[in-house]
Amino acid sequence: MTPLMLVAEDFTAPGPSIFDFPPLYEGAPTWLTKPVLMAVLGALVVCALAWSAFANPKLVPRGMQNIGEMGYQFVRDQVARPFLGKDAERWMPLLLSLFFLILLWNFFGVVPLIQIPVASHIAFPVVFAVVIYVIKIYLGIKHQGLGGYFKNMMFPPGLPKPIYVLLAPIEFLSNLIIAPFTHAVRLFANMFAGHLILAFFSAVGFWFLFEKLTPLGAGLGVLGVVMTIGMTGFEMFIQFLQAFLFTMLAAMYIGGSLHPEH
Amino acid sequence: MATAIVVPAMSEQERRPETDGRDFADAAWSVPSYLLSGILIWGGLGWLLSWWTGVHAFIPIGVVLGVGLAAYLVYLKYGR
Repeated sequence: MTPLMLVAEDFTAPGPSIFDFPPLYEGAPTWLTKPVLMAVLGALVVCALAWSAFANPKLVPRGMQNIGEMGYQFVRDQVARPFLGKDAERWMPLLLSLFFLILLWNFFGVVPLIQIPVASHIAFPVVFAVVIYVIKIYLGIKHQGLGGYFKNMMFPPGLPKPIYVLLAPIEFLSNLIIAPFTHAVRLFANMFAGHLILAFFSAVGFWFLFEKLTPLGAGLGVLGVVMTIGMTGFEMFIQFLQAFLFTMLAAMYIGGSLHPEH
Repeated sequence: MATAIVVPAMSEQERRPETDGRDFADAAWSVPSYLLSGILIWGGLGWLLSWWTGVHAFIPIGVVLGVGLAAYLVYLKYGR
């Protein structure tokens, strides 16, 4: 048995338990944990940033207003306008807050000492997905009528009647159950898996370089550290991408309810 | 008298490339959802049938039928 195998047998990879946090202090309610605190902190930071950028706007933007307007333009041009067209401006408050809050929550995953992406607890993305789901159905019924909404959703026009019996259930399940479900799970699963990957590679680096440094294990430890750095960069890309996608899908669902395609 | 050269304005379609983006994104995000729904609905019916009749072949028949119908639905909505 090589020394490498000896130490490798003692190594335990971090599992789902790294997402479990105790209450913040002795006697705190069980729900008051680090992710909850970070969720609130994220909301406060987004409020503060928006306040400092837009509370006192100048004709020639400087400093925070400049950054805020760049963020606004990005969300408006890349997320809102393609799906909402002329209604884009009306939905910008929702989409902008959604995008930056999720982006910050995700970004917490790589901020030293915080190091927990809030959305890796599925309850948080579920709340957003449910809000968008309710808005989607409300707007659909408001703009297309109760019957019209379900008719437009489930019965694409121009088909022989028997075909509808086969296809309508698929449309129903896809639009009303699978879509909101994947909307929340996509964000959750990406953040969960990303955090687990980062935790794993840093644990490898820490274990083989500091806890049990052996000539054979050292290479593995260095690999762990290099991978941690590389994966951190990759995670930041994913964090941005998932915030973008979540907001984009929200705009897509809202736009679909406002303007039925057919 | 010089005849004015009338340059036709770009068509509505050309001026609004975002419509293409919307359709594409719509399709890209709906297709997996449709395929999954097709499998669940018709595979589920097949599972029920096999449970009632004891003929296990209904499950794969339902799943394949569901994928086929979902693919047909995707074709109807985005492929035509």
